Amino acid sequence: MDQFLSAVFAGTSRGAIYALVALGLVLVWRGAGVINFAQMGQAMFSTYVASTMIMNEYSYWIAFFVALIVGTILGAVVDLLVMRPLSGKRSSAMLASPAMRGTIPVIASLGIVGILQAAAGMIWAAEERGFPTPVNSLGLTIGGNVMPFTAFDLFVIGIVMVVLLITTIFFQKTGMGLAMRASALNPEVARLSGIRTSSVRTLSWAISGAASSLAGLLVTPSANLSPNTLDLILIIGFTATVIGGLDSLPGGVIGGFILGLVISFVNVYRSPSDIFLAILVLLLIVLLVRPQGLLGSKEVRRV
Amino acid sequence: MLKIENLVTEYGAVRALDGISFTAAEGKITTVIGANGAGKSTLLRTISGLERAKSGQITWADKSLIGKAPESIVRSGIAHVPEGHAVISQLTVSENIEMGALFRRRKNRSDVKLAIEEAYALFPRLAERSKQLAGTLSGGERQMLAISRALVSRPKLLLLDEPSLGLAPLVVEQIIQTVDDLCRKSGLTVLLVEQNANTALAVADYGVLLSLGKVVANLPAAELKADASLRAAYLGY
Ligand SMILES: Nc1ncnc2c1ncn2[C@@H]1O[C@H](COP(=O)(O)OP(=O)(O)O)[C@@H](O)[C@H]1O
Ligand SMILES: [Mg+2]
Repeated sequence: MDQFLSAVFAGTSRGAIYALVALGLVLVWRGAGVINFAQMGQAMFSTYVASTMIMNEYSYWIAFFVALIVGTILGAVVDLLVMRPLSGKRSSAMLASPAMRGTIPVIASLGIVGILQAAAGMIWAAEERGFPTPVNSLGLTIGGNVMPFTAFDLFVIGIVMVVLLITTIFFQKTGMGLAMRASALNPEVARLSGIRTSSVRTLSWAISGAASSLAGLLVTPSANLSPNTLDLILIIGFTATVIGGLDSLPGGVIGGFILGLVISFVNVYRSPSDIFLAILVLLLIVLLVRPQGLLGSKEVRRV
Repeated sequence: MLKIENLVTEYGAVRALDGISFTAAEGKITTVIGANGAGKSTLLRTISGLERAKSGQITWADKSLIGKAPESIVRSGIAHVPEGHAVISQLTVSENIEMGALFRRRKNRSDVKLAIEEAYALFPRLAERSKQLAGTLSGGERQMLAISRALVSRPKLLLLDEPSLGLAPLVVEQIIQTVDDLCRKSGLTVLLVEQNANTALAVADYGVLLSLGKVVANLPAAELKADASLRAAYLGY
């Protein structure tokens, strides 16, 4: 029973982080039609900034907020400096074919990962570092009983729940959220309604950058920080979006939690070496039964 | 007044507008009719900024619209209801309407509220369905929604692209009547594109007949309606 509960808590806290990664990916996919493979590269960079600040005696919380801001700015910069020029009408004739138009941003995002990893290697000498947690990450004891979760698990789950709540309210209840949904669903009608769709697109990149930098801060304590530690998280987050439905925010979030739980249960009841097999089997089942993902819409697969 | 001079718009090698000139008088309905492929939609899309003009001039309220983006053209008082009941089906009816006024919600909060109420008063069926997804509406209701979305931006010029397309005659009658009322009562200038020439000429003040991207006739609507030879040559009946 204890084993079961600890698998549930560990899985939920891991799943919350994957949900954040998926949220970031879906935001950019819906807002800009790009799968941003640079997302966790950006997060690695902002986490290094936080880590450097903490090593220089700044408090965890100051470093935490600076990292979020760096992540947000990095997201916007990737759009303004790379993606927007690439989608401009005046770009080369090579961009005229629809297949290339879809591929080039992906190649560009892979290029950005390369640049960010190289830059991190140069600035921080590619040294592996630990990363602290703001609360205890060892088993919690209450009244002499060892709890099946750690304080850090609760912290992660709590903060992600708050983020998801704010995101939901933002998209469902605010004018800017409506503008973002409209731009993603039908850019032409959105523009005719006066919505500045290119600014909205930059905002999607920025919010996505914020979500992924948060994911970076929350996941790094359980790995060591190095220029490519977050690659694996990106793959799992991407799998979560495919399971949940690439064009659905709630879908990606649910996919993240499902993956977190599956990974945790395989880890506890079988062995860590079976994790990838389990993910693959889960992915295949979803793709066979519901190719558009749990909450995805059918049209998206045609893109 | 909307003034179009020698307007040329191309899609690659296809010249959809081949030197168009005409004016749309303030507070009047000008209808643009012509066979399928004549360039009617391209004309509206070029005015609203969705397509880029190759050459020529579009002047609205003494300012050129050439080179402006759609999101800034709508701010100058021009609302475009594109072909095919353009609403966003995954958003609710009220969200679709609200969307049309988002760009001016900060400065004119009370007027936006009023404009939305007016739209619902104009089309009470939308008020009943305000929380439904737009995708669940009938064709006629979608067209009403698309028009409402445009109206809440408080346009001075309304560009309507084939509002009658695929709708039952009774619904067409109601929609056209509403547009006519708006024009007569509030001085809205309307550019109404129609393939259904009889419906359009019945309410319009002026008629512009397009063929293969050129203006072949520009007359008061009644005269165009009465000209059997023009109709036979360009509309096929
Ligand atoms: N997106 C497009 N790409 C290429 N050609 C187009 C496009 N849209 C319209 N055309 C062509 O431009 C001409 C005018 O089309 P359109 O303005 O849609 O006419 P109408 O609205 O009068 O039916 C037609 O020959 C049409 O095939
Ligand atoms: Mg047309």
